[in-house]
Amino acid sequence: MGFGRPLGRGLLIVALALYTAFAASPFVWVFVLSLRTTTEIYADPYGLPLPPHFGKFADAWLGSSYDVYFMNSVAVVFSAVAIVTVVGAMAAHCLARYQFRGNRALYFLIFSTLIFPPQVTIIALFQILIEYQLFDTRIGLILVYVSLQLPITVYILESFFRRVPSDLFDAARIDGYSEVVIFWRISLPVAWPAISTTIIVNTILLWNEFLFAIVLISSDSKRTLPIGILKFMGDQSNDVGMVATGLMIAIVPVVAIYVFFSEKLIQGMTAGAVK
Amino acid sequence: MRLRHVLRTLATVLAVSTYMAIAPAHAATLSLWTFWGDQGAKRDFIEHAVKAFEAAHPGDTVQVSWYDKNSLYAALKTALRAGQGPDVFYAEVDQVEYIDNGLLLDLSNRLNWGDIEPWAKQAWTFGKGTYGLPLEAWTVELYYNTKLLHELGFNPPANHQFDQKTFLALIKAAHAKDITPIALGVGDRPYPGAFLTEEALLKEVGAADYGKLMRGELKWSDPRVVKALTYVKSLIDTGALPKSFSTLKLGESHAYFYSKPGSVMFLMGSFYPSRAFNPPNQGGQPPDFPLGIMQYPALDNAACNECKTMAVGGSYVVNAATKHADLAVAFLNTMATPAMGKLWVETVMGQTGIKTDMAHVSGPHAGYFKELAAVNDDAKYFFGLPSQVMQGKRRDAFTQIINQAFPAGILSVQQVVDRMDAVQ
Amino acid sequence: MTGGSVASSPAVATSGVAAGPIGLRAWLRLSDQPFGAILGFLLPALLFYLAFTVYPVLLTIYDSIFRVLPNRPATYVGLANYTAVLTTDPTFWQAVRNTIIWASVGPVTEISIALLLALALYAKIPGMRFFRIAWFTPVLMSYVVVGIIWMWIYNYDWGAANTLLRFLGLGQLVRSWLGDPSTALPSLILVTTWMWTGFNMVVLLAAFHSLPAEVLEAAELDHCGWMGKLWFVMIPMVQPTILNLAILSFVGKMKVFDLVWVTTRGGPLWSTETVSTYVYRRAFDWNTFDLGYPSAIACIWFVIVLAGVLVLSRIFRRHQQLEF
Repeated sequence: MGFGRPLGRGLLIVALALYTAFAASPFVWVFVLSLRTTTEIYADPYGLPLPPHFGKFADAWLGSSYDVYFMNSVAVVFSAVAIVTVVGAMAAHCLARYQFRGNRALYFLIFSTLIFPPQVTIIALFQILIEYQLFDTRIGLILVYVSLQLPITVYILESFFRRVPSDLFDAARIDGYSEVVIFWRISLPVAWPAISTTIIVNTILLWNEFLFAIVLISSDSKRTLPIGILKFMGDQSNDVGMVATGLMIAIVPVVAIYVFFSEKLIQGMTAGAVK
Repeated sequence: MRLRHVLRTLATVLAVSTYMAIAPAHAATLSLWTFWGDQGAKRDFIEHAVKAFEAAHPGDTVQVSWYDKNSLYAALKTALRAGQGPDVFYAEVDQVEYIDNGLLLDLSNRLNWGDIEPWAKQAWTFGKGTYGLPLEAWTVELYYNTKLLHELGFNPPANHQFDQKTFLALIKAAHAKDITPIALGVGDRPYPGAFLTEEALLKEVGAADYGKLMRGELKWSDPRVVKALTYVKSLIDTGALPKSFSTLKLGESHAYFYSKPGSVMFLMGSFYPSRAFNPPNQGGQPPDFPLGIMQYPALDNAACNECKTMAVGGSYVVNAATKHADLAVAFLNTMATPAMGKLWVETVMGQTGIKTDMAHVSGPHAGYFKELAAVNDDAKYFFGLPSQVMQGKRRDAFTQIINQAFPAGILSVQQVVDRMDAVQ
Repeated sequence: MTGGSVASSPAVATSGVAAGPIGLRAWLRLSDQPFGAILGFLLPALLFYLAFTVYPVLLTIYDSIFRVLPNRPATYVGLANYTAVLTTDPTFWQAVRNTIIWASVGPVTEISIALLLALALYAKIPGMRFFRIAWFTPVLMSYVVVGIIWMWIYNYDWGAANTLLRFLGLGQLVRSWLGDPSTALPSLILVTTWMWTGFNMVVLLAAFHSLPAEVLEAAELDHCGWMGKLWFVMIPMVQPTILNLAILSFVGKMKVFDLVWVTTRGGPLWSTETVSTYVYRRAFDWNTFDLGYPSAIACIWFVIVLAGVLVLSRIFRRHQQLEF
C-alpha cells in the first residue's frame, strides 16, 4: 500500500520529521545542557557544548548522594521484579492451566485492580507499613511494589500460559512428573519470551515510580532515584547545568535498556493492548 | 584450684563493672535533619555547632542530613506521623500540626531561655509549652540597585521610604525603559509573592487590625483593606513584577535581581545575604554590586507607615519520640548562647532570636549590617507572617490568591476581596 | 502419580468449608485437579493481593468515617467527611474537573495523533525503525525527569517554547505557560500527550499489521480510495484496540501525580490540582495530620473512576464483545 503521489509522500515525511523533532528534541537539549556549565547556559541557552565538560558527570555522581539513590533503586527494583516475576508466574500458570470454580472470578479480581487509582490504597498502605514496622524500609517498599505490579504481570503471563498446548502437560503428567516440576520444566521455558518482557516492563515502571516512594520512604539514605533527582534539583535549583547532568544520569540506564531490548520492550508494553 | 578459679572470676567481674561505672555512657548518635545545605554561612554555622557539641560531649556524635525545604517537609510529615524521624530537626512556627499532635518535645524548662529574646520565645509558645529554638529571625526587606535607581532619575528617599506616588512613578519609569522594576518569584515558596500586599496592608490598617485581618476577625471588604489592595494593584498593572513571576524560584529570583536580567528592586526577607553573599559562582551577587536597602512605600493617610513584619524563621525542635532527649536539648543549648548568636549575626548577616549585641558586629559585611540597622531604626515590628498566623483552608487560599494569583495580575481587587472573605 | 497433591485431606479438614475432602474438591470442581499444587501456586499471589490491595482498600473505607490523627484513637465522625468533601470543598470539585478534563482530552489527542502516525508508518515510509524508536522513548522516562525538562521548555525567559515563538515572529503569543491558570493545564496535557502518543502509535501499528490481508485487499478492489479504506475499514477493525488504549490512557490520566507535583504542585489558582495531588496534600502536606478526610476523597474518587471506565466501555461497545 502506498500513497502514490510524490507530493503527498513528501508532505508526509515533513510531518513525520516535525513530529520526531517534537518527540526527541527535549532529550537532545538535556544532553547538550548536561555538558555545559550554568554560566555558559545562561549566556546562551541554545549554544553547543564547546568544550564539553564530561567531568560534570563525575561531580554529580560523587558530589551529592547520587550513588546512594542509584543503588537503592537498583536494590529495590531488582528485588521487587524478581519476586513479582516468580509469584506472578506461579499464579498465572495456575489460573491458566487449572479449571476450578472461581478461576475466572479470581483472575478478574486481580486484573481489575489495574484501574484502581493509587489514592485508594496509598493512605492505608502508609498506615499499614507503619504498624508492621515496615515504614521507611526498603523491604516495605519492595513488598508494595510487588503488589503494584502483580496484576499486570499476571495478566500478561496468563494469556501466554494459556497458549501452551495441553498435550505437553498431559504427556508430562502421564510420565509421572509432579505439578511443580511441570511448572518449572515446561511452563516457564515456553513462556520465557513473555516472562522476559514482563521483567523489562516491570523494571522500567518501578524504576520510575514516584508516589509510593515519596510517601513510604523518609530517610535520605534509603531514597530511590526519582526522589533523589527531585532532591538533587531542589538543592541545585539555580545550577541548571548540574541538574541537567543529573537528569542525564537518570535517563541513560533507561535508554540503554531500551536500545538493547527495544523489540522485546515494545512487545511487552503493548502486550494485551492489541486485540 | 577451685578457689583460684573463683577468685579469678570475681576479679574479672569487678574489673568489668568498675570499667563500666567509670567509662562514659554508651556513645549516642543524634540525628539531625535540616534545611540550609545550599546556604554557605548557615551551613557553616550548623557545622560549627555540631563540632562544639561533639567536643563538649565526647563519644556522642551528630549525624546531619541536609535537605532542601520541600523534601524536608515531605519526609518529616511522613516520618513523624509514623512515630519515627530524627531527634532534632528544622521547623518553622507555621507548622502547628506538629504541636497539635504532640510530636514535639516541650522545651519550656530545658532551654537557656535567659539568652533568648522574649518575642522570639513567644513565637514558639503555644498553650502552655514552648517548642522550638528560634534561631533565625528575619524582617521583610526591600533591596535595590542604587546605580539603576540613579540612572532612572531618582534619588534614594530621605527617610529610606518613598511615598505612594513616587514609588509608582519609579515603577513606571523602570517599565518604560524595559527594566523589570521588582524581581520576585513564587515558583517554589508559598510566601514571597505576598510581601508587597501584606506590607501595604500592615501599614494601612496598623498592627492591631492587621493581626485581626490575619486571624479572620476583620473582613477583607473593609475600605482600608480595599484601598491598600487597590494601590498594590496599580503597581502590578504597571508591570512591576516579572512575567515569569509564577514559576520563578526563590534562588533564581536572587539571580534575577543582581545578575541577569537585573531589576531595580528585590523583595526578600533579611536572609538575603545567605544566598547573595555566597561567591558569585555559587549564586551570589557580583562583588561590587551597588546594594541599597529601603522601606516599603508609605501609603497616604496610613495608620502605621513605620510598621513592618518580623518573623521567626528557621528554628530547631526536638522530636517528642526521641530516645536522647537530654542530648538533643544539650545540642540546642549549644546554639543558644550569646557567642553563637554573635557568630550567626556576623556570618549569616541576619537577625536571630538569640540575644545578641547587634551594635558590635564586625567582619567583611559589617557595612551592610550597619545600613540594615539604620534603615530599621524607627521600625515598629509586627511579629508573624500571614502563613504563620493562618491555618487550613485560609492559608491555602492565601497562598493561591495573595501569594500568587493577585501579584500575577490574574485577579482584580474585588475578586480577591470576595475570595478571601469567602474563607475568612 | 500425583506427586504434588499430597496433604489435601488435613488441609481441607481444618478449613471446615465442606464436610470432608471430597466435598470441598467437588465444590471447587477440583475432582481431577491437584488441590495442593493449585493452592501452592496461588497462595503467594493471593497473600500479596489480600495484604497490600484488598486490606488497604478496606482500611481506606474504614478510615473515611473517622478522624484519624496520630497519637490518639480515631474519632468516629460518620459521614461528616463525605458531606464536607461533597458540599463544602470547592478545591475537590476543581480537582475533579481538572482530572476529568485531562482524562478526556488526553486520550483523544494521544490516540488521534497516534492513529495518523501509525497509518503513516504503515505506508512504509523509509526509516521506520528509527521513527519508532524515537517516538517511543518518551514513554520510558520518569515523570520527574519529564517534568523538569518541560519546566525548562516552558520557562518564560529562556525556555524553548517561548524562544521558538519569538524566533517565528509570534512574540505576542509568548506567556508564562505554567504560571497562568488558563494555560497551565493545557500545557501539562501537552506534556502527557508528548509522552504517550508514541506508545499508542506502536500499539496501533501492530494492530494494523495484524489485520487480515484479504479484507484490505477487498477494500482496495472496491475502489474505496485510501481515505475510505482508512475510515470505513481499518479504523473500525482496530476498534477493540482503540478502546483498550482509550481505557489505559483514561485510567492513566486519572492517576497522574508525579508530573503535577514536580512542575506546578496544583497551582496556579488550583488550575492543575488533580485529585491525586489534592489527596496527597490533605494527607501529607496539610496543617492537620488527619487521614480520614483524604480517605473519604479517595473513596469518592474510586467510585468516579469505576463509573468512568464503565461509561467508556459502554460507549465503544456496539457489536464488539469486550473481553477482559
